Amino acid sequence: MNLRNVDKSTWIYLIASLLLFMVPFILTGRSMQFIFIQIFIFAIFAMSYDILLGFTGIISFGHVMFFGIGAYSTAITMSKFDSTIGSFLFGVVIAVILAAFVSFIVGVLTLRLKSHFYAMLTLALAGLFLVAAEKWRTLTGGNDGFTFRLPEIFRDSQSMYMFCLLSLILIFFGLRRFTKSPFGRVLMAIRENENRTESLGYKIVHYKVIASVVAGVVASFAGVLYALSLRFVNTGVFATDLTIDVLLMTIIGGVGTLVGPILGAGLVEFAHHWLSGLADVHWIFERWIILYGTVYILVVIFFPLGIVGTIQSRFSNRPLKGLRDNRKANENKGRRAS
Amino acid sequence: MDLLISLVINGLATGMLIFLLAAGLTLIFGLMSVLNFAHGGLFIWGAYTGVWVFQMSNSFILGIIAAISIGLLLGLVTERLIVRPVYGNHIQQILITLGFMLVLQELIKVVFGPDQKAVFPPDILAGSFIVGDIVLIKYRLFIIAIGILIFVISTIILKKSRIGLIVRAGVMDKEMIQSLGINIKLVFMLVFMVGAGLAGLSGVLHSVYSGVIYAEMGLEFSILAFIVVVIGGMGSFSGSLFAAILVGLAQAFMAYYVPALSLAVNMLLMTIVLIFRPQGLFQVKG
Repeated sequence: MNLRNVDKSTWIYLIASLLLFMVPFILTGRSMQFIFIQIFIFAIFAMSYDILLGFTGIISFGHVMFFGIGAYSTAITMSKFDSTIGSFLFGVVIAVILAAFVSFIVGVLTLRLKSHFYAMLTLALAGLFLVAAEKWRTLTGGNDGFTFRLPEIFRDSQSMYMFCLLSLILIFFGLRRFTKSPFGRVLMAIRENENRTESLGYKIVHYKVIASVVAGVVASFAGVLYALSLRFVNTGVFATDLTIDVLLMTIIGGVGTLVGPILGAGLVEFAHHWLSGLADVHWIFERWIILYGTVYILVVIFFPLGIVGTIQSRFSNRPLKGLRDNRKANENKGRRAS
Repeated sequence: MDLLISLVINGLATGMLIFLLAAGLTLIFGLMSVLNFAHGGLFIWGAYTGVWVFQMSNSFILGIIAAISIGLLLGLVTERLIVRPVYGNHIQQILITLGFMLVLQELIKVVFGPDQKAVFPPDILAGSFIVGDIVLIKYRLFIIAIGILIFVISTIILKKSRIGLIVRAGVMDKEMIQSLGINIKLVFMLVFMVGAGLAGLSGVLHSVYSGVIYAEMGLEFSILAFIVVVIGGMGSFSGSLFAAILVGLAQAFMAYYVPALSLAVNMLLMTIVLIFRPQGLFQVKG
């Protein structure tokens, strides 16, 4: 491999990840490490969401179902079998297979629909998963949830940190490769102009279904890590709030980039931590979601590309068109389809 | 037999409440292809304000008026500040209205407190009629009556008046209407406000019906309204009434016989309709 061919940004990312590897040696507090672990997990989740929203232009309000599938598959295998690495890996395999299966079925059935219908249908489907988890108490423990034991290696918060960070880095570079591949280019073409891509001979639904399977599988892995980090799982992993959280992270950080969701996850998690800490000072901080919602609305109106996207389009001369300037295309699309 | 009748009345009452919410959604969508995810937020604001005024003044009528007015007002604000900047861009519309829903829901907790509140029906509507062995709960009959009244009034306006004609024509082809010199944005704003007012009305009626209000019920209930809009066909007013009654009845019967599946059955209905008839049962657009 010729090092000169490596993208300049790759070096930056590698250096950043090295720095992150050193963090647990500087910040030894468990709670601080826990926040970082949560950030890594949600960064993975948000990146998977961005594959749909930012790269393909699909809005799903039910992405949390894959997250929940991942969390429950691990938790259930870990509590039914002994807590070894073997049963953990078994749980991961089950999570991945289930998520791939569900996302494939959902995708095949619904991705032919227009954006509104898809958004509504996924919102309702996620609601269905939540209800199912609440009713199937023998397996899921309902809203009370259940705890489980971890394999030896994950009990230490430092090694958990390393494991999550490593997963984040591997998934980041994997998804980066995926989005830069010819396949990823077609996804972006679909985002920019669906009709034109179709008339160029690409089968749009195939591409969308594969994108949603990739996103679903990655999201389920985030769910696996989430269950591991908490050593506990309840129906909260299917709550729509989590979809909204991850939507905020993606939008604020920057849609259509992979660094954006990571940055967004960091911002949202830290803000969450600090603002709920401020709740003792004034009760209004308990309602920090208002602040988020407002920031989010302002970002959607004024910086539809998010932090990273806005910076990128400043520096490069070919601005990402995607989410802002396709009004006309969308309007035409809507007219033709109806 | 009496069980059957009371389940039907239950279903019709729920259906009417969903219809009031869905009617606004479907017209807003039909006219400007805006899918308003914040509709549930208007619903809870109607519920809380209406209940607050009702409990303060002890007059249910005042509560209803307050709910409708807050709906109209918030509808104006939503249309001006939230929906107008992102006309034509579906992705941004969906994202921004969902964000506004979140803000509305949290603001409820700031203004009225985060806890659930119990609501009791006004004296005149409490209790029930007994006809033979059949118990008819007054409040449910009241909801059904209001629903029918609203449907009839709106249908007369839509079918007989000039503004109704414009709205119906706008749903079919808004460019054509604009080229005839009609300010479609103004019409849209009015429709949006009326839809929001109906959402507020639905909120206050629902809060007395269910006996308890909490901030999250907006999103939960609006999922039912979305299902109804999809089944009835986006933009179809009478379609949404039909679908709302269908969903309400399915909900009531399933809640009695197979409670675990009461949400699932509506989801199933929507999925089947979407797969086989994505434009909904009643198609409006030409």
